Amino acid sequence: MEQAPPDPERQLQPAPLEPLGHPDGGLETVVGEEVEGARDESPGDGTVRRRGGRGPGACVGAYNRNLMLFLFRSVEHIDGQSVLTDSLWRRYSEFELLRNYLLVYYPHIVVPPLPEKRAEFVWHKLSADNMDPDFVERRRIGLENFLLRVASHPILCRDKIFYLFLTQEGNWKETVNETGFQLKADSRLKALNATFRVKNPDKRFTELKHYSDELQSVISHLLRVRARVADRLYGVYKVHGNYGRVFSEWSAIEKEMGDGLQSAGHHMDVYASSIDDILEDEEHYADQLKEYLFYAEALRAVCRKHELMQYDLEMAAQDLASRKQQCEELATGTVRTFSLKGMTTKLFGQETPEQREARIKVLEEQINEGEQQLKSKNLEGREFVKNAWADIERFKEQKNRDLKEALISYAVMQISMCKKGIQVWTNAKECFSKM
Amino acid sequence: MSGGPPKALPSTGPHSLRDMPHPLAGSSSEEAVGGDSTPSPDLLMARSFGDKDLILPNGGTPAGTSSPASSSSLLNRLQLDDDLDGETRDLFVTVDDPKKHVCTMETYITYRITTKSTRVEFDLPEYSVRRRYQDFDWLRNKLEESQPTHLIPPLPEKFVVKGVVDRFSEEFVETRRKALDKFLKRITDHPVLSFNEHFHVFLTAKDLNAYKKQGMALLTRVGESVKHVTGGYKLRSRPLEFAAIGEYLDTFALKLGTIDRIAQRIIKEEIEYLVELREYGPVYSTWSTLEGELAEPLEGVSACIGNCSTALEELTDDMTEDFLPVLREYILYSDSMKSVLKKRDQVQAEYEAKLEAVALRKEDRPKVPADVEKCQDRMECFNADLKADMERWQNNKRQDFRQLLMGMADKNIQYYEKCLMAWESIIPLLQEKQEAK
Repeated sequence: MEQAPPDPERQLQPAPLEPLGHPDGGLETVVGEEVEGARDESPGDGTVRRRGGRGPGACVGAYNRNLMLFLFRSVEHIDGQSVLTDSLWRRYSEFELLRNYLLVYYPHIVVPPLPEKRAEFVWHKLSADNMDPDFVERRRIGLENFLLRVASHPILCRDKIFYLFLTQEGNWKETVNETGFQLKADSRLKALNATFRVKNPDKRFTELKHYSDELQSVISHLLRVRARVADRLYGVYKVHGNYGRVFSEWSAIEKEMGDGLQSAGHHMDVYASSIDDILEDEEHYADQLKEYLFYAEALRAVCRKHELMQYDLEMAAQDLASRKQQCEELATGTVRTFSLKGMTTKLFGQETPEQREARIKVLEEQINEGEQQLKSKNLEGREFVKNAWADIERFKEQKNRDLKEALISYAVMQISMCKKGIQVWTNAKECFSKM
Repeated sequence: MSGGPPKALPSTGPHSLRDMPHPLAGSSSEEAVGGDSTPSPDLLMARSFGDKDLILPNGGTPAGTSSPASSSSLLNRLQLDDDLDGETRDLFVTVDDPKKHVCTMETYITYRITTKSTRVEFDLPEYSVRRRYQDFDWLRNKLEESQPTHLIPPLPEKFVVKGVVDRFSEEFVETRRKALDKFLKRITDHPVLSFNEHFHVFLTAKDLNAYKKQGMALLTRVGESVKHVTGGYKLRSRPLEFAAIGEYLDTFALKLGTIDRIAQRIIKEEIEYLVELREYGPVYSTWSTLEGELAEPLEGVSACIGNCSTALEELTDDMTEDFLPVLREYILYSDSMKSVLKKRDQVQAEYEAKLEAVALRKEDRPKVPADVEKCQDRMECFNADLKADMERWQNNKRQDFRQLLMGMADKNIQYYEKCLMAWESIIPLLQEKQEAK
């Protein structure tokens, strides 16, 4: 099982291509320039700001509805000059491939998630249809966000395959597959086994896993209820539209009251139709929550990797101990551990001293090897824990920032909705007063 | 008026409900929803009397000093009341102080009726009696009988589905009290009905039941005569104006029915929205228990949603208690008006039939016989009364609906203002730590 340290072959060489790889560099600059407003507050800490994403010229841009391809541009700094390379097209499945690759080679990193493949947590008016333009647009934003997150990650951004994803038009798929990453992926079964059998995982990872389970559960719940809330709110607003019609009909038989009723009815219509925009805005909030719902899975993946490594280590240690014991027994002549050889010896007669010597020698070699392996596994394990925990800390800061911002923008949306409500009803009240 | 579960009234006792707002109190909801059609004179009266009427149990203020909206609507009422024409009022009636009476056979509510008048018909300047719904129902029937040419205001609905609505809940009793108060005030406003004998007895008699048992006590001449007009006469042609009134009332009742249905539907949707909100808020709370730095912001959002939920509940309660009943009253009103119109038609038909009969007889003296003349009188009185009442009704309807709809708008504005305040207040909380970092 391979670790994935900064591998010279996979990482980009700093010299010619550093600006793109650097969190402050090319890719983010493009987005910053081409999309109005929304620049990162502090470029140095690798934060990514979510964009409203409606503007043209964003990083992940147009799409062809039939094939669901995505277009984007990348910028290279060549000798300090910005040059717009040709844009290229990528399918959603290629994004998935990229992510799977990153998961294999950077198991200690909390890899940013992709937006959902199918629309979930929808309230009734929103289409659950994958071809629906609103869904596609939101997915476009999600994919852009994914790329931005990868690009702003201090380690992931240097990855060669990632760079090629942005720049290599044809055959990128082959290039990825040639890395053989699928073979290196840990089997799900193995991981599951490790989860149950590991004896001494790092407590922090156990807690983290617990946290990510809870987080996933609570955000799912939140999204489900929010969708129901949206549904109901829609109903409330829309029924008010009926007032418009009946006031109009009523005004026809009234003399002095007619005008007031009629104009009030108009405001009721305005009120009823205002809900569409309001709820559309709220979808962006839901998307922000969804990203962290999926991030929970990424967190769990890191924990699983740790468990796997730890389990592997424990098994190796156990193996070593067992061999040592065998060796000792052979040397001293006592048989405490079961061995096939011992059994057959008992059945078929004693082995010769030469045979015994030979076996001891083999065992000693194995023990040596085992000790080496154990040492390196220990080292790898500690390295992993160190690196993983560093990225987890980075992730926690990012999460707190992003979610706080999401809550603020949600509150702002609610405030705007309240103000609109006050405005409409105040207008209606004035009309009523003129009745 | 709003918020928590319906409270039961205390049983019979010397003290009224502590929480009952005084009818002269300045609660804006009462003002805005057309609870009184003539509060202003009462208010002026109360001030000049300077009596205990102004001691308000829940510390409310008299209507005149509360929100500008109510004082301007008071002025409106003063100006639009064409019966006054500069004259001061001389009759003031108020319904308040509901009390529960528990007897062996039944439990019921009585209301205190306070009357102040300088009219000569009243022996005393002030009366205070207690009446129950049954008594109001009796009064209305008597008025219909004795003043069939006039439009009698409606009562709140008599029957209540048991189990669905608690007849003794504070909200229900308050809604009914307001409607009964309105009923009496409308009669008080009426230049003819307010002088009705039955009305007088209702306001003043200590023992109404004794009077009721007198049965046929007093019937006005008109009442007697119109009472005996049976159906069976076919109307030739309805005068345009009454035809127009009939058509108007038909459409009016239809539209009100639609509005009632819409309002009910809105309340239903709002309640369902409220149910979801009550689940939504706490999830943020649960989430906050998982978090460190985000705990406070998330808890803040949870509390905020809770506040919005409460505001929404207040809105739906208000609409249910104040808006819907008034709509229903007007539907009942237009129904009863249509039957008066039918009666008028009958009177006209009888007159026309008798007239025709006379014309056919030919041998008659040139003078029109006495009974035909009587019929004509009857018809012309009826037409005049009805016309006057219709005009009055139209004016009052306009005021009432202006008030009702403005009240509806007001309640919605208040709801949004409460929510706005809640959300605006957590913005600093959400932003705070970020800057500190």
